[in-house]
Amino acid sequence: MSAMETPALMPASSANEPTFWLLMRLKLTILRNRVRQLTDQTPLQLLMVLGFLATIWLGLYLIFDQVFRFIRRFEKEAIIALPYVFHLFFFSMTILLGFSTAVLVYGSLFAREEPAFLLTTPNKPRNIVAVMYVEALFFSSWSLVLLGIPLMVAIGSVQGLPWHFYATFIGAFLGFVPIPGAIGLVIALLIALFLPRMAKRSLMYASAVVLMLIVAFWGRLWVISSSESITRRWVHDLLGELSYLKSVMLPSTWVSKAIQFSIQDNPAEAAFYLGMTVLTGLCMSHWAISFVAWKLKPAFGRAHSAPTHSRKYTGWASRLLTFVAFFYLSKRMRAVILKDVRHFLRDPVQWSQLAILFGLLSLYLFYLPRSKPDGFSMQWQALICFMNFVAITLILSTFTSRFVFPMVSLEGKQIWLAGLWPLTRSQVMWAKFLYALTVTAAAAVPVTYLSIRAVELPLIMGIAQMSATIGCCIGLCGLAIGLGARWPNFKEPTASRISSGLGGTINLIASVALVAVNGTLFAVTCLYSMNERQLLKLEWHSAAALSAAIVASVGSAAFCMAIGIRRFRRQEF
Amino acid sequence: MAVVIENVTKCYGRLRAVDGISLNVKRGELFAFLGPNGAGKTTTIKMMTGLLTPDSGTITVCGHPMATDSQLAKARIAFVPDQPFLYGKLTAREFMHFVGEMYGIDRNILPARIEHYMAQLAVTGYADQLAEGYSHGMKQRVVLAAALLHEPEVLVVDEPMVGLDPRTARTVKDIFREWANAGRTVFMSTHTLEVAEAIADRIAIINHGRIVACGTLDELKAKAAREHRLEDIFLELTDPKDPPELEEAVIPM
Repeated sequence: MSAMETPALMPASSANEPTFWLLMRLKLTILRNRVRQLTDQTPLQLLMVLGFLATIWLGLYLIFDQVFRFIRRFEKEAIIALPYVFHLFFFSMTILLGFSTAVLVYGSLFAREEPAFLLTTPNKPRNIVAVMYVEALFFSSWSLVLLGIPLMVAIGSVQGLPWHFYATFIGAFLGFVPIPGAIGLVIALLIALFLPRMAKRSLMYASAVVLMLIVAFWGRLWVISSSESITRRWVHDLLGELSYLKSVMLPSTWVSKAIQFSIQDNPAEAAFYLGMTVLTGLCMSHWAISFVAWKLKPAFGRAHSAPTHSRKYTGWASRLLTFVAFFYLSKRMRAVILKDVRHFLRDPVQWSQLAILFGLLSLYLFYLPRSKPDGFSMQWQALICFMNFVAITLILSTFTSRFVFPMVSLEGKQIWLAGLWPLTRSQVMWAKFLYALTVTAAAAVPVTYLSIRAVELPLIMGIAQMSATIGCCIGLCGLAIGLGARWPNFKEPTASRISSGLGGTINLIASVALVAVNGTLFAVTCLYSMNERQLLKLEWHSAAALSAAIVASVGSAAFCMAIGIRRFRRQEF
Repeated sequence: MAVVIENVTKCYGRLRAVDGISLNVKRGELFAFLGPNGAGKTTTIKMMTGLLTPDSGTITVCGHPMATDSQLAKARIAFVPDQPFLYGKLTAREFMHFVGEMYGIDRNILPARIEHYMAQLAVTGYADQLAEGYSHGMKQRVVLAAALLHEPEVLVVDEPMVGLDPRTARTVKDIFREWANAGRTVFMSTHTLEVAEAIADRIAIINHGRIVACGTLDELKAKAAREHRLEDIFLELTDPKDPPELEEAVIPM
């Protein structure tokens, strides 16, 4: 037993080789411990997550159910439209799953400490790759589970389909997921081999390309669908744009056909396409795992040893930007903001996600109704004004939940530094609040202005919408900074994980609630203005509702900042 | 020989991190590997443990070439990195069970062996808590205990004393010495020159990717032909007269 006994090496025979199943057992133990920890320590968070999941599922199911019931009324159109729904859905899923599997596999095989540990053990690279691949498939397929199951259950219930439809779609899902997954696995390897020091930037560029393709695709559909009234040619052009989605070479076509034939009660054809999907998934997984395992060690070496050119930062741009934007603050408060600005600008993952969010805002602007020669009717103006307000504030709430909430937590293990700064802790909090508010308002105000111009809103309603939007910015930033300080997570260095924790979930709920309250009050503002004065004057009901919305926002911000500052003052380092 | 390194070179871009080094480490030897930051210590260790592939040259562990027979070579080696890795959501006991099973230790003796090494490195007190709550020193002890579990012929440790309290550091030094006395090999990279001076049988000093000295403490003293402390010898042999061009490349260590 003692270490000093004669060396007794394990026999390194194939019988004793560590297996795939041992590593799988390890992953399952980790998962079990994670769930056990959640149920023991933060059952509320677990319940909230499950509640959210159930709500999303139920909501999606109800939406899909209504859509399919609506389509069913038009029998001919339903026959044409339904297959396109499947083809588009699975085609989108192919891109999404391939992309997310590539990101997850790269993180688990080339970026974490875990593969370094496993590669020093007598484990075959094939086992390591296979386990990481299965783990990545498990996590990346959540999007399919979340969207696909309510979609299929809704079809099943609307059409009154038998049990074997449900078995077919579950089999089709399981068979389909490894196809984009295998592509993602190989992409991750290629990035490690050829772009080892540009993994984050590759992700960013790929996201930008995908976003641009989506915008271009929807833009073309938009042009076609809004150019003419519904004619035979219109239908022909629209379906022509979508025809390549039905290519027989696409796995999304096979899985779509398997489900379609199952709906049509044609088990032989359904089984053929299902078998084709499953076999392709298995073969591609086998080849991808073998290939990646073969190249794992050189790729790992490249990912961890390729030279990078160290860039010199002068920091003048960030300094100038901070000085101009926050000239009214003291030097010390500006220094705190400058630190946060530089941190943010030098982390491509952070600002690429911000770019995607602002891309969504731009997309929204792109689809805004343009002014018409004969002008908008008053009802349309009021409705679009209200919808613009809700859309912009909802996107802002996502922004503050994802980017602003983690700002206090991101001080991380160096939080003691904040305690040593020659600033009061409330000044540190206000500096972060003002930084968040400036960025949020810089995005929201121009978008709101353009939306006001687009629908030719009268001046008074324009001012009302702008005031409510700025009020909402103040509210959302106050909530995010205050609650971020109230429920900080200094151990977690990743912003996205901080925002998905308990505090982040509470903040998200509070933010959505604030948007709902503001939306309701702003709806009242629009409604009363419309009834009385052709949107040219705010009568007292409208003014009261608008004031209430602004008071609710500013009050929420003040309250949350107060509890955040109180907690931050007591924070021990 | 336990470890044979022959003419090994590893480049990062234009920078030669390891430049044609050769070393022989015998069985039953406690070998200290010294060098300033960026000298090539960690790169050499990563190649020895199979994490990196040399650009040229060969590394053999207990007669098994790492390039062609890596599984058998790795079965005879254990590696304790400077930044200890543990699965945050596993307890120390679960982690050690996993490592034991991975190295094919008989299930009948595995629990007793785990208890033995956990007790030796004072891990038992927190063995059933999740590793995410451990301090650096606690993690270091667990990783070391896990590395000893399959009683490897070659134990490779990178900065073993960082984060350890004096009592544990003493225990670790004793384990290394006894491990070598029992016929196994310890290959230790360290900046703590006192530790190398106190327990190492032989010492190699690497600078700018090349071995600038290798031998017993007495042989190194003879080579330096001046002060009798290892610190003085080290400072003389690693004098940064010709620093590498770091602007060209940043070497991930």
